[in-house]
Amino acid sequence: MPSINSTIKVDSRDAKLSMAHFYVAFAALAIGGLMGLLQTLVRSGKFELPGGIGYYQVLTVHGVLLGLVLTTFFIMGFQHAAVSRTAGTHSDKARLTGWIGFWVMTLGTVMAAAMVLMNKATVLYTFYAPLQAHWIFYLGLTFVVVGSWIDGIAQIMTYAKWKKNNPGKPGPLLSFMAVINTVLWIICTIGVAAEVLFQLLPWSLGLIDRVDVLVSRTLFWYFGHPLVYFWLLPAYMAWYVVIPKVIGGKIFSDSLARLSFILFLLFSIPVGFHHQLTEPGIDPAWKFIQVILTFLVIIPSLMTAFAMFATFESAGRAKGAKGMFGWVKKLPWNDARFTVPFIGMAAFIPAGAGGIINASNQMDQVVHNTIWITGHFHLTLATSVVLTFFGISYWLIPHLTGRKLTKKMNKLALIQAWVWFIGMAFMSGSMHAEGLLGAPRRSAFSTYMGAKQAAEWIPYQIAQAVGGTILFIGIILILIIFINLAFFAPKGEEEFPVGEQAENAEATPMVLENWKLWIGISIVLILFAYTIPFIDMIQNAPIGSKGFKTW
Amino acid sequence: MAKAQLKNGPKSNPKVQHKEESESLKGTMASVMFLGFFIIVTWLGVYFLFVDRF
Repeated sequence: MPSINSTIKVDSRDAKLSMAHFYVAFAALAIGGLMGLLQTLVRSGKFELPGGIGYYQVLTVHGVLLGLVLTTFFIMGFQHAAVSRTAGTHSDKARLTGWIGFWVMTLGTVMAAAMVLMNKATVLYTFYAPLQAHWIFYLGLTFVVVGSWIDGIAQIMTYAKWKKNNPGKPGPLLSFMAVINTVLWIICTIGVAAEVLFQLLPWSLGLIDRVDVLVSRTLFWYFGHPLVYFWLLPAYMAWYVVIPKVIGGKIFSDSLARLSFILFLLFSIPVGFHHQLTEPGIDPAWKFIQVILTFLVIIPSLMTAFAMFATFESAGRAKGAKGMFGWVKKLPWNDARFTVPFIGMAAFIPAGAGGIINASNQMDQVVHNTIWITGHFHLTLATSVVLTFFGISYWLIPHLTGRKLTKKMNKLALIQAWVWFIGMAFMSGSMHAEGLLGAPRRSAFSTYMGAKQAAEWIPYQIAQAVGGTILFIGIILILIIFINLAFFAPKGEEEFPVGEQAENAEATPMVLENWKLWIGISIVLILFAYTIPFIDMIQNAPIGSKGFKTW
Repeated sequence: MAKAQLKNGPKSNPKVQHKEESESLKGTMASVMFLGFFIIVTWLGVYFLFVDRF
């Protein structure tokens, strides 16, 4: 694969574009992380927020900033760098497109954040109707989505240029993955864009009086589940392509990596009903079909797990490891670029197992709307994905700013990851356990009028406050490292590691790059899974709901 | 794709044996089996909780 290393360093103009995204992402992490700490303290029952600040307002800030802003900005920043590094420097036109995307997203973020901070949009990050926010909040979110489309188009432009200059060759793996993720994102955000433009915006502006709640929630989850994969795939990009290079090994299989990304594109979208299993108004047969499709998404996840183990073992054995698990000792445990994402990978084992439980129709009744779910996505997003993003930052930020990750910062990064692991074990572990005892998510502290069952939950909530406090220390540490790498670390050259395939690897089949085929199948699956349920919902629609402001 | 060789080739040849050791994926096999076992155990755990409650 000579194409992979066609560019060694990200062009400094593209580096500025990436860094702009990272500044917003880490600012969001700082504020959103503080809000998370406040939530766990309030829910312990030992603290109250000062000045009449509402729990749900803090919860909205936390969810919007970390679930939507941190992720989207980090991912777009990373993908710009990945495409520029492997498919070649952006053209001036592509870079300008990227900057327009960045500014549209930033404007949208400021609009939405201002409304939340003014307590005009305390609707949580899922902004479910009939909770009704100020129209500027919805317009701001629209700008974030549209901005991300423009940002993604810039990446597709550079990839298309590479393909044009290299006819008949598979595109560089990292760029291919970035483009799959962008295509996934564009297809799925059409749902949330439709929800906001045709339902929530006219409704919040007073142009229409009522909104169909079921349709709005269905459009949201058409977007909401692939959103999870939009977060996850950039982490997988690092696992498949960057980590092999960091550990001194080879990519186990280029074809397997591409196939797993294609399967994510196909099976992560037509599955939103598994978030709506308890919802009335959807035919159980269609819920069943979407649960089956959800289970198909397990296949690429397991392929990824296999490929990771095989990469580690092959690398270890190439260095002379013996026995069943001798290769474990050959992994570079003192290198933060490896160990931090590795902890994220390990967290994905319980996270994935929990996900299979959530998507199983009957068992969803045990965990639905309990804090188990919150515990689940703090393992997937807030551990697997976020620790991998931190691991990426430790080489990417210095690479982009022309600095070095010093030994001291490497050590601090390792400490940060273990602090995060311990904090999350307390917080997410107790959320899972408390959820199985029936404690609701999205709820401030309450004794529920002295109910015996609610009293059982309190020790777990105190454990969450302990975990949240440890995690906040982790946030302070990562911010110290980020600021050091962006502004103060010594000047130098930090490598952008891009792995290569093993010498005896077979050529990648070109069918894996047949975009018309895969996007076509993706659209067919979506139409199959959603057309009849949507017709049902619209034909049997109730009169709809007026807006509620409960805060 | 990297070609994994689990158990083939004559055992008597030390060169082949060395190659077998360096290309073996038996640790991967054990790891994915553990992963599958973990998924099944957690799933069954919540399944029995469901059966018990509903």
